[in-house]
Amino acid sequence: MPQHEHMERHRKLHGRRFDAEERERKRDARMVHKRSEFAQKVHGIRAKLYNQRRFKEKATMRKTIAQHNERSNKHANDDAVADGAVPAYLLDREGVSRAKVLSNTVKQKRKEKAGKWEVPIPKVKPVADDEMFKVQRTGSKKNKAWKRVVTKCTFVGDNFTRKAPKYERFIRPSGLRMKRANVTHPELKTSFQLDILGVKKNPSSSLYTNLGVLTKGTIIEVNVSDLGLVTTSGRVAWGKMAQVTNNPELDGCVNAVLLV
Amino acid sequence: MPVYNFKKMAPVPSASDFVDIVLTRTQRKTPTVVHPGYKITRIRSFYMRKIKFTQQTISDRLTAMLADFPRLSDIHPFYSDLCNTLYDRDHYKLALGQINTAKQLVDAVARDMIRMVKYGDSLYRCKCLKRAALGRMCTILKRQKASLSYLEEVRKHMSRLPALDPNTRTLLMCGLPNVGKSSFMNKITRANVDVQPYAFTTKSLFVGHTDYKYLRWQVIDTPGILDHSLEQRNTIEMQAITALAHLTCSVLYFMDISEQCGYTIEQQCNLFRSIQPLFANKQLVVVINKIDAQPWETLEADRKKLIEDLLEESGPNTTMLKMSNVSEEGVSQVKNEACEKLLAARVDSRVSGNKVDSVMNRLQVVYPTARDGVTRDAFIPESVKKEKELGAKKPKKSRKGYAPTVDDSDDEADDTPPESDDEMIGDDGVSTRKKTARELMWENGGPGVWAPDYREQYDLADPEWRFDAIPQILDGKNIADYVDPDIDDRLRLLEEEEDQLAAEYDAANMQRMDDDDSLDEMEKAQVSEIRDRVKIARAHKERPGGRNRPALPREIRGRVKDMHDSDAKLKASAIEKRMDKYGVDTGAMLERGRKRERDDPREIRRRKRDAEMEDAAPATNEDEEMEDGRGKSKGAIKRARKEREQSVKRASSQARSHSRPREPSQMGLKDDDMAKVAKKVEKQGQFRWHGGAGEGDHTKAVHLVKWMNTGKKRNGTHYCR
Repeated sequence: MPQHEHMERHRKLHGRRFDAEERERKRDARMVHKRSEFAQKVHGIRAKLYNQRRFKEKATMRKTIAQHNERSNKHANDDAVADGAVPAYLLDREGVSRAKVLSNTVKQKRKEKAGKWEVPIPKVKPVADDEMFKVQRTGSKKNKAWKRVVTKCTFVGDNFTRKAPKYERFIRPSGLRMKRANVTHPELKTSFQLDILGVKKNPSSSLYTNLGVLTKGTIIEVNVSDLGLVTTSGRVAWGKMAQVTNNPELDGCVNAVLLV
Repeated sequence: MPVYNFKKMAPVPSASDFVDIVLTRTQRKTPTVVHPGYKITRIRSFYMRKIKFTQQTISDRLTAMLADFPRLSDIHPFYSDLCNTLYDRDHYKLALGQINTAKQLVDAVARDMIRMVKYGDSLYRCKCLKRAALGRMCTILKRQKASLSYLEEVRKHMSRLPALDPNTRTLLMCGLPNVGKSSFMNKITRANVDVQPYAFTTKSLFVGHTDYKYLRWQVIDTPGILDHSLEQRNTIEMQAITALAHLTCSVLYFMDISEQCGYTIEQQCNLFRSIQPLFANKQLVVVINKIDAQPWETLEADRKKLIEDLLEESGPNTTMLKMSNVSEEGVSQVKNEACEKLLAARVDSRVSGNKVDSVMNRLQVVYPTARDGVTRDAFIPESVKKEKELGAKKPKKSRKGYAPTVDDSDDEADDTPPESDDEMIGDDGVSTRKKTARELMWENGGPGVWAPDYREQYDLADPEWRFDAIPQILDGKNIADYVDPDIDDRLRLLEEEEDQLAAEYDAANMQRMDDDDSLDEMEKAQVSEIRDRVKIARAHKERPGGRNRPALPREIRGRVKDMHDSDAKLKASAIEKRMDKYGVDTGAMLERGRKRERDDPREIRRRKRDAEMEDAAPATNEDEEMEDGRGKSKGAIKRARKEREQSVKRASSQARSHSRPREPSQMGLKDDDMAKVAKKVEKQGQFRWHGGAGEGDHTKAVHLVKWMNTGKKRNGTHYCR
């Protein structure tokens, strides 16, 4: 206790007031009512947040109670384990029901049956040209309108140089160029920030693919050399496909899911 | 010299609070209304401002936090080591480092997102980008949850650390647990440290202050140290070690010779040996404590020898003192010795240091030499000498009425005798010491009863005037208004001026008398009368505020009796009287007035009306009386007649409304036809914007617009983003 722990010191010297315990008990008892009053009154985003927090609290509370009751609880596999002697080689498979194994195999087969190019986002809303491009008027009188500015995020390679203004039909603004993507590995359930290597396919138009436009559903190639993934032939894979899952121009970043 | 006070650090909010603070501030301090119809540049700058503001808020707060927490490399090594033992230096640095990184990350996010917003082409897109930016910044903050909560704990603990100055004069107690360090602390300071009969009652450093030689001494009580290696020591012991290692101080090593603390003298000696390296360059006092329980003299010889050997080992500078906290024997001696040693050492280090040379170079001490053999004593007046001889003991000044001090507490008993001595001297006529006003006051009943009479000190032309009563009001005037220091001078000047004026007036009179000599008595009287009237007229004319209304023309003035009623006419006799006074013939004037009156159309009309009434009234009266006069009483007849007369009068009277001005809309129009034409033209002019509709068809725009007021109203669904 440092010298200035004044509260503790005061308590040590003078004790607490006589009704301190009573007051605390009452405050705790009232807390329930206060909470419920608030929960009934609150609305909007605050209500959402409050309910989320409260749900979490309750969940942990339930878990703790369950832990405390562990010994007296009835478990699903209690009977199975208790019933007779089980050979050692079967010990690790206890409790795995036959049905579960079956369903797993069925799922696996279905997956294999499905097309090789099945992607997480199968349907994409097409993007129209006039949404994609803004007309840039040129000429001293501003009456020529053959130039276009791309309004979505794009990927351009490292060694890209712009054409001369006379021949540059599509302008890809440098502020909207993306270099890296947040890629989720669907099996590992983890995300990595990986370099984009190129745009393979933009479902809306081949023109967009050529321009390297990143919209929702676009297939991109990302650099996975850091992940240490291995191909079937045993070599280290460094380029892998991923599909963009968000609208980069609205979020300011590219989120993608790895196609495995 | 920095002052080590860590109490001023601002509280560190928890991560979730931090997010709330930042977002609330953004919402409150930036504009909230934007519409999709606005110019796109305006929409963009609206959202860019929000992002920038949020980033600025976070950045400012984190910077302030980083500035608040002391950098361990910058503070005194004692504090730096103490922080290390208490909070773990690595953890502390990591936490601050993470906060710094978070700040940079937030800046980077804001920079990127603002760049994106610059390309936003719709309100929706800008809004989404703002939302993403704020979300990413808040996520970064949320990740700092652990660092922030750790820093808050550190801040709380640091603010409770004792205010310990590492550079001042310090006494430091150390020793095994329970040997009486804290009891000694309580004896010499007012720190009120907790003392209990078990080990490790004191768990942290405590600071108290004591006084020696009018200087303030800092006394530090440390937790007990056990005798084991440095690695094994816990946080509580390490605090004591830190203090021992870094403070320049006088160390009191406490030993319990009664062995009540649970450690033998041998163990205590071993601890001394093991921490001896820390005593280098310090003033060491070995305190043999608890001699009430085990006096030094009766201590067994071999144990005594252990201690004496210890002292020999530690060197010549070590002093051994015996004391007891219970019997308070030797307590102040220990304190004095420790203070004295440290003081001597501090002075010594000052003098031996290299700084002293720079001061000594500038010092020069000069003793004056005698110029000749003449003695030059202080001049003492004869009277004073005489008084000194007479009153061998100096008359003591009365202390009555002053606050008592230490000096006069012993003289309290003989307070009055010196005064009486004083009186006697006064009676002898040799010494005439005046009584002070204070003495007089006490003789005459004390304060509130007697007050000095300041009139005695008035300096007037005649001393007898001093006690004269001065009235406040004289002849109905407050004399204070007339008090003037220069009154004599002014009076003299006034009198001079008056004399001069009188002389001038006399001279002028003499001259006029000379002019009037040619007139006889009658003429003189007339002249004087004329002059008087001229004077009166002039005075009347010059009278201010005499007449504040337009002057009437003469013709009216001639006829008017009094000024307030311009219609009233003067009687002919009055005109005659007035005009005769001026010697004017009134015949023609009156005739002209009468003629005007006769020709006045109003007057003619009035006369005519009167004549008609005269004619009508008798006739009707007669008829009435003829018809129903018989059956009625006299009073009723009278009443009826009166009524009749009045009704006739009313009938013949003219309504005031004839002179009323016309309706404003018809001003400037000749007659009703003109007005009708004008109205028609106006209507034709308005046809273009009113159409054929009349006034009844005029409409007013509705206040409640349907599309604005139907449908659900929730946050953000309408045009408030």
